[in-house]
Amino acid sequence: MNYNMEKDTTNIQAKGFKKSKNGTERKAVIRIKNVIKSFGDNHVLNGFNMVLYEGENLVVMGKSGSGKSVMIKCLVGLMAPDSGYIEVMGKEISTLNRQTLDELRSEIGFLFQGSALYDSMTVRENLEFPMRRHKEKLGFVQDTTPLVMEALENVGLAHTIDLMPEELSGGMKRRVALARTLILKPKIILYDEPTSGLDPITAKEIIELMRSIQRKYGTSSLIITHDVDCARVISERMILLVDGINYAEGTYAELSASRDPKVEAFFKK
Amino acid sequence: MAKTKLEHLRLGIFVILGIILLLFAAYLIGNRQNMFSKTFEISAVFKNATGLQNGNNVRFSGINVGTVNSVEMINDTTIRVRMIIQDEMRNHIKKNAIASIGTNGLVGSMLINIVPGSGKGSLITPGDELQSSNKIGTQDMMSTLNVTNENAALLTADLLKVTQALNQGKGTLGRLLNDTVMSNDLQKTILNLKNASNSANVTMIEMNKMVEQLDFEESAAGVLLSDTISGGKIKNVIEHLETTSIEIEKMAQNLNSIIGGINEGNGAINYLTKDSIFVNQLERSIENIEQGTERFNENMEALKHNFLTRGYFRKLEKKEKKNSN
Amino acid sequence: MADSTKTVFAKSKLVGRIKQFFIQIGELSYFAGRFFKEIFTAPFEFKELLRQCYQMGNRSLVLVCMTGFIIGLVLTLQSRPTMIQFGAVSMMPNMVGISIVREIGPVITALICAGRIASGIGAELGSMKVTEQIDAMEVSGTNPFKYLVVTRILATTLMIPILVVFGDLIALFGSALVENLKGQVSFQLYFNTVFDALSFGDLVPATIKSFFFGFVIGLVGCFKGFNSKKGTAGVGIAANTAVVMASLLLFVVDFIAVFISDIFYEL
Repeated sequence: MNYNMEKDTTNIQAKGFKKSKNGTERKAVIRIKNVIKSFGDNHVLNGFNMVLYEGENLVVMGKSGSGKSVMIKCLVGLMAPDSGYIEVMGKEISTLNRQTLDELRSEIGFLFQGSALYDSMTVRENLEFPMRRHKEKLGFVQDTTPLVMEALENVGLAHTIDLMPEELSGGMKRRVALARTLILKPKIILYDEPTSGLDPITAKEIIELMRSIQRKYGTSSLIITHDVDCARVISERMILLVDGINYAEGTYAELSASRDPKVEAFFKK
Repeated sequence: MAKTKLEHLRLGIFVILGIILLLFAAYLIGNRQNMFSKTFEISAVFKNATGLQNGNNVRFSGINVGTVNSVEMINDTTIRVRMIIQDEMRNHIKKNAIASIGTNGLVGSMLINIVPGSGKGSLITPGDELQSSNKIGTQDMMSTLNVTNENAALLTADLLKVTQALNQGKGTLGRLLNDTVMSNDLQKTILNLKNASNSANVTMIEMNKMVEQLDFEESAAGVLLSDTISGGKIKNVIEHLETTSIEIEKMAQNLNSIIGGINEGNGAINYLTKDSIFVNQLERSIENIEQGTERFNENMEALKHNFLTRGYFRKLEKKEKKNSN
Repeated sequence: MADSTKTVFAKSKLVGRIKQFFIQIGELSYFAGRFFKEIFTAPFEFKELLRQCYQMGNRSLVLVCMTGFIIGLVLTLQSRPTMIQFGAVSMMPNMVGISIVREIGPVITALICAGRIASGIGAELGSMKVTEQIDAMEVSGTNPFKYLVVTRILATTLMIPILVVFGDLIALFGSALVENLKGQVSFQLYFNTVFDALSFGDLVPATIKSFFFGFVIGLVGCFKGFNSKKGTAGVGIAANTAVVMASLLLFVVDFIAVFISDIFYEL
């Protein structure tokens, strides 16, 4: 367990490679160094540091409005940080042009907070949408139906293929959205509040789904949430985002045992 | 998929139909301006274009055969109007045809009327210049009519006053004085009336001439009359004028009889002279005045010769001499 | 003391409003500039363009036709008595025809479409923005500006003129109906007179003008929707301000268009 009270985070660089459980070195797929982002006088990120290793489940927890979503949007280039270094799969985001950024984005799945299904399209069209610009990645297939069906079967919703999003329940929407993030077979999946707005049972289903997908495809996952139960189930490692910095880092067990008042606040029922 | 196909089909129909409608409208407009048919150009020279514009219609014997292409000033009294005429009209329009500017109805747009000339002539060739006639425009006609009407109104108002005054005339000195003024007025009025009825006659003759011309000739007023509403109006105006002039004549006759009456000793003035008491009084007072003035003269003579005032009168005489010198 | 602070406050508020106005104009211009930049670079979202054309063109047709018909009817009914007083009732087709083709047809159609389309775009893009659908598009490799904005602006720019043609025709038809019933003027005579009165000086500027009307409607709708603030209230504001701003801009464009066509055609 590490505490990072001061903003000096040079030790992160040294931990770029970390021993995995079976002793081999794990590669970092995402590195965030000293990222600062503010909206006017509101300093959201104040020198945030983070590393995501290949194949791991990392949960970043923070209160709402603590800048989690901003951080994750900076990762895919939806927002640009004021300063700092962001590297995804060995490429620095700020140096990429539109085309290379799109190529990189096809390796990253992004599950949005409210599912963000396109209202005007059917489920099939929603799933086909990411393929429009990444045909080469899928080998220029003419008939996309098998791919769509495969993704939908992964989330257990093959029968909804010709429905409109408005005909689906919240949990089904989330699952369809998950299927959509999977359709390009990404290496990293970013989850923005995957369980928000769902009842506990559906939330559990979604979490189970996330785990099974990770097992199946071996993706690295970065999960952003304020839901402690979600974090407990899925996390291998956790980072607490407090006051715009990575305040504390460790496993769920380590952090929940912490006596630090700011850390304790997260785990209080 | 079938849904999108149907949408595309409907969109296609919508777009194509819209474009066809637009093109059709453009074609219709262009057709009116003879953009798509074979045409040739002729011209005519006018003194006054009276608001003629490019694109105005050109009519030959009442049929639209072309449009005005350009209106250009050559010098301050010459305006050349170029017209584009349908090609098939080359077999019908002859060189002696006459062009004039008219209007389409009372308030319609301007147009050029071409009427066939009298007698035989060779067919027109492109670039020819037609003879033109500068007929009285609607505006001129209307303004003349307006002036005539106003005059008539003034006259009738005057006459009304005079006749009223005549009817109310009573035997007093004031009335007598009034009468002299009145008789002066009357004489003037009669003169005016004569003038007015003369000018009304002239106008009538002109109008009649015009109306006669209209029957066989396509002129500005011809178009006016053929437009039933405005034609009806003009006819009304003419009828009014006729009745007005008849009334004026009647009134003039009445006045003449009144003047005659005065001379023969009937009527207001006569009434006065028949009032014997008044006449006697008048005679007496006039005699008194005459006597008075005679005495006054005598007194003045006496004063002149008086030694006291003699010097003063001499001075006056000297002054008068000086002034006359 | 209190009064002076009040006036200072009011003054700063006014200055703020004026500043906000210029910021809006600036941002709108930048948005339009971005549209012209994106429209000429690949990829082109042709399928989506067709879909939007259908949504905006065909779906507005009934509305435009209904308003056009009523406007033609009412315009003729209202101006007939005056024309009768002048004894110029035979000039009705000329007057109504010219006023519909030149001004009333395009402006009414554009205003109706500003109400229907600009608010629709504002609300749709606004809710897409709020629910992160626009971000989702961006992440999945599709340029949302191209996919959502360029197609919509192009669709309105292309469809409004066609709607105007239909609107004009139906309005003339409505007017002809009144003349036919009240004045015993045959449809053929009516349309003959109308097209006799019309010239290219009436048709061409009106058609060009309606392209700009379409552009304004699409541009403002997309601008307001794309820059919508978070939350459902933001979507409502986006839809509302889109209609207001589009209608206002339509009149400004109309004024400029009339001004320019006046120079070229000496109306």
